[in-house]
Order: sequence, then C-alpha cells, then structure tokens
Amino acid sequence: MKHTILKALSNPLALSGFIIIAAILLLAMFAPIIAPYDPDAIDVKAILLPPSGVHLMGTDGLGRDVFSRMLYGARISLLVGIVAVGIATAIGVVLGAVSGYYRGWVDVFIMRMVDVMLSIPTFFLILAVIAFLTPSIWNIMIVIGLTSWMGVTRLVRAEFLSLRNREFVMASETLGARDARLIFSHLLPNSLTPVIVTSVLGVASAVLIESGLSFLGLGVQAPQASWGNILTDGKEYIQFAWWLSLFPGLAILITVLGYNLLGEGLRDVFDPRSSKKL
Amino acid sequence: MLKYLLKRLFWMVPLLIGISLISFLIMQLAPGDITTTEAGFNPKASEESRQKLREMYNLDKPLLVQYGLWLERMSTLDFGHSFASHQRPVFWQKTDDKGNVTPGMIQEALPITLLINVLSLGLIIIVALPLGIIAALTQNRLPDRSITLFVFIGFAIPGFWLALLLMYWTGVVNDWLPISGLHSLGFENMSWWGQLLDSIKHLILPVFISALSGLAGIALFVRNGMLEVLHQDFVTTARAKGLPEGKVIFRHALRNALLPLITLLGLAIPGLIGGSVIAESIFAIPGMGKLFYDAVLMRDFPVIMGILTIGSALTLLGNLLADLAYAWADPRVRRGVMR
Repeated sequence: MKHTILKALSNPLALSGFIIIAAILLLAMFAPIIAPYDPDAIDVKAILLPPSGVHLMGTDGLGRDVFSRMLYGARISLLVGIVAVGIATAIGVVLGAVSGYYRGWVDVFIMRMVDVMLSIPTFFLILAVIAFLTPSIWNIMIVIGLTSWMGVTRLVRAEFLSLRNREFVMASETLGARDARLIFSHLLPNSLTPVIVTSVLGVASAVLIESGLSFLGLGVQAPQASWGNILTDGKEYIQFAWWLSLFPGLAILITVLGYNLLGEGLRDVFDPRSSKKL
Repeated sequence: MLKYLLKRLFWMVPLLIGISLISFLIMQLAPGDITTTEAGFNPKASEESRQKLREMYNLDKPLLVQYGLWLERMSTLDFGHSFASHQRPVFWQKTDDKGNVTPGMIQEALPITLLINVLSLGLIIIVALPLGIIAALTQNRLPDRSITLFVFIGFAIPGFWLALLLMYWTGVVNDWLPISGLHSLGFENMSWWGQLLDSIKHLILPVFISALSGLAGIALFVRNGMLEVLHQDFVTTARAKGLPEGKVIFRHALRNALLPLITLLGLAIPGLIGGSVIAESIFAIPGMGKLFYDAVLMRDFPVIMGILTIGSALTLLGNLLADLAYAWADPRVRRGVMR
C-alpha cells in the first residue's frame, strides 16, 4: 500500500493533481480561520468594490466579501462532489458486483437498467427530479449520486467477469470458497484500482454539475455561498464587476483540473499499458 | 442489414419501457401529488387547471392503472397542454374548432436545438480530428503536449463561465457579437444574406460553448485511437511494403482509428442535448434547453415530462443511427451480427 502511494506520487500528473486538491481541501477546512470577513455579512457601504488590499477579491452586490464567500463555497463544492460520488460508487460497486458475479437474468436486468439510465439525458433527468423536490445541498448530492452510477457498474461488472476466469480465483473456487469469500477477498480487492480512478474523475464532473445547477439557481440556495451561485451574481453585474465572474469560475476550473490530473495520473500508475499513450 | 435493423429496433422496446417507468417514478417524487406541487409553487394555477391535471394523469385511479393510461398517452405522443403558457400544446400544433392553429412548444423549440447540436458536432469533427491526428503523430513532443494541455483545460472549464467571459469580451467590451437571442431586431426586413449573417453572429458563441467539452474529448479519443492503431501489424505491413507515409496514415491507420468514433458520437448525444440547458439559458435561445429550464422554474409539469421523453427518444434514435452507421462502415460488425 505504502509502495503504491509512493509510486502514485512520483507520477507528475498525479502529484500536481494531488497538490491542487490538497491545497483546496486545506483552504476549505480552515475557512473560518482564513476568511477575513463573515461570508454572509452584508455591508451596504461596501457594495461592488473592486479587488484591493481590504477585499482581496472585491465585494458583491450586497457588499459581502467575495474572498470569504469563495472559501466557504469551496466547502460546498468539495462536499457535494465527494458525497455524490460516494453514493454513485457504492451503488455502482454493488450492482456491478452482483451483475458480474451471478450473471444470468440478474445481469441482463441490471445492464438494461444501465442502458435505460444512459439514454435519458443526464442533465434533464437531474433538473426534472429537482423540479419536484426543494433544491437543497442534500438533495443535490443524492440526485447527482443517483444519476451517475452507471459507469462504475459497467466497470466493476467487466472486472468481475474477467477476474472469474483467472487461475487464482478458479483455484479458490475449486477449494470450496464461498461466494462471500470469493467476492470480498479476491474479486473486489482486485477490481478496486479502476474504480478509484473512475471515482476521482467522477468528482470532477460532480463539481461541474453542482456549480452548473447552482448557477441556474436550482442548486445550493442563497444566502449559502457556492461557486456556482456567486457566478449567478456575476452574470447580473457583468457590466460593472468583472471580479464577481472571474474568481469563482477560475476556482471551479482549477478544482476540476486537479481531480482530472489526479485521476489520469492514477490511471497511468495503475494501468501501465495505457501510460505509454499519455 | 435489415435483420440487424429489426434486431436493434426490438432491443429498443425494453429501453422505452424503462424510460417511461423512470419518468413515471419521478412524477411520484412530488410531495402530496403533482397538483398540490403545482399549486404550491405556481399560485397562478387555478382550481380548473388542477382539475384538468388530475384528469390528465388519472390521479384518482390506482398507481398501476395510472401508469398504464400514461403509457398509452405517451405512445400516441400526447403530452397534453402547458400550464404556464396559456394552455399551449406541449408537443405538436393543435387546430381548434374555428380553424386557428396553436403551434406546439416542442415543435418550435426542437429545430433550434437540433441546428445548434448539428453545428456543434460539425465543429467538433472539423477541429478535433486534425488535433487528435497531429497529437498522435508528434507523440510526447511539443504539439502533442500543447494539445493534451488544451484537452485537460477543455474538460475542466465550466461552459457557463466561459460563456459569461466571452459574452463580456465580445458583447460588452468590444461590441463584436450580439449577446443574446437568435435574431436581431428588424430581422424580418433584412435581405437574405443579411439574415444569414445575423443568424451566424448569434450562433457563434452558443455553438462554440456547446462544442467545447466534446471537442476536447474527441481530440483525446482520436489521438489515443491513432496511437493504438499505429502500433498494429497491418500498419507495419503497409510501411514494410513501401507505401508513402501519407498513405499509411490516412488510408490505413486513420480509417481504422475512426471507426469507434461513430459510436462515440452517438453516445455524445444525451450530453449535447442536456448541455443545451446551460448554453441556451445563458444566451436566451428559445430551444429545448431553455424551454426545459423555464418549465422547471415554473413547475410546468406536462412540459417537463414531454421534453424528458422526447429527449430520451432522440438519444435512442441517435444511438440507433450510430450503430447502423457502424455496421455500414465496418463489414466485420455487420457479418458478426448476421451470422
């Protein structure tokens, strides 16, 4: 394990992604200490001030400090991304494992379910569900999680199918190992690495979806700050206050880039065949 | 080929049933029933329209019967009328007793979204193909490195943010391009080339924004596909028998590398359709995405269900076309399935 981590961190892509994510994670964790102002404190005497020494990233239409709001927004982005992908991965691993292990009609049923989910435009599906629930950070996480498990399911299924024909698994089966033992000590641990790669890349897309939803006013609701809804204000004031648009978008870009770099880097490390390509 | 087509059509039946089931389940998510949701969120909904809604979805009947009746209506493409937009038909035009024609909402919005998506696909292919080929041929050297960097940024950049920045740069600071809508004022009085120019100006930014992430993805895909093919035996054979390098790359390698692209473009359709929500609502373009977004804000239930169903049907159709194109382009697939 230690060896794998060291190897992963010696990959330049993975290392740069890791540094970016770690930095954002620290900023988010220590937001209450770092933030110079209360993120929700309205100051009518300081409306739409450009960035300066007093307000590093300027202020918004209600005089709130954008830098402080950005720090708290980072918490939302990271939380939504990680929880949503956690849900999706859990569903995907269970369904994929069942599908790949038991095969037969269960497999056919689960795979058709995957096909069905893949043929509904995801963003439409998410918006339709949100239309009938009240938008809140918890609902967003659950909805993104419930609509993005298909990739992991297919992946785990494929891994299980190919692993079952490998000698060490057949040996264990011949020796009389039970289903649970085969699944939990042989099949699952050996299909974990591609799942990790997919999950890391999944966080990137969950962060993008959350910010898109919040931007459209259907995600994290004001006054709670998220990068997406700061951008909504940015759109409102685009003619007078460029800083309201620039910084949140840049933050989303860097975060998503970080996860993608980490994911692609880990793929190189775990799957040396594909690393020749990049 | 006909047998293959029939087989593919047959496979679409369970998918359609699954899609209808999921759409039906979403309806059940609303607290209370959909009429109370409607009333809660949209004070304009009258008792009369609520009653209409109850009748339309047969809410007084058991769940299974509701589903059956709903399925029957879906199969005749009857999505009912919008609440928010003065009872306009959701899908297709209707003629009343006096002979007045009310155009359907999806009927008007769909061609616009299709136009933008077709243009985006065109842009993706025109730009991503050369980028991918150049990257593969200069593997690990400067052009490849810069293209890979572009791909990573293209994946990570939020489309709505780039759209805002470009609107600001081309519309507010420089006044080069119009920042919203599909036509300028006085469009009707322009000459045909004036109209064409005006439409192009309005479409540049939306098409670019919807194409961007697909563009990055396809470029990377072409690059990796080319690299894989270039190491295969038949390419070595082609080189060994002395073919010029151009012929090896374009005749032998590229053709094989591009085959999976057909499927990938088919798979990109739901993303493009879904992505139209953001591009269209930012640029105020009256397509499917904007229609859907407005319907979600207004809790305009029949419109939401209608677009969800039509969007899924389009995706299935796109995948079917992609599979047929693949079978047409690659005899191995065709024979494989017909055996």
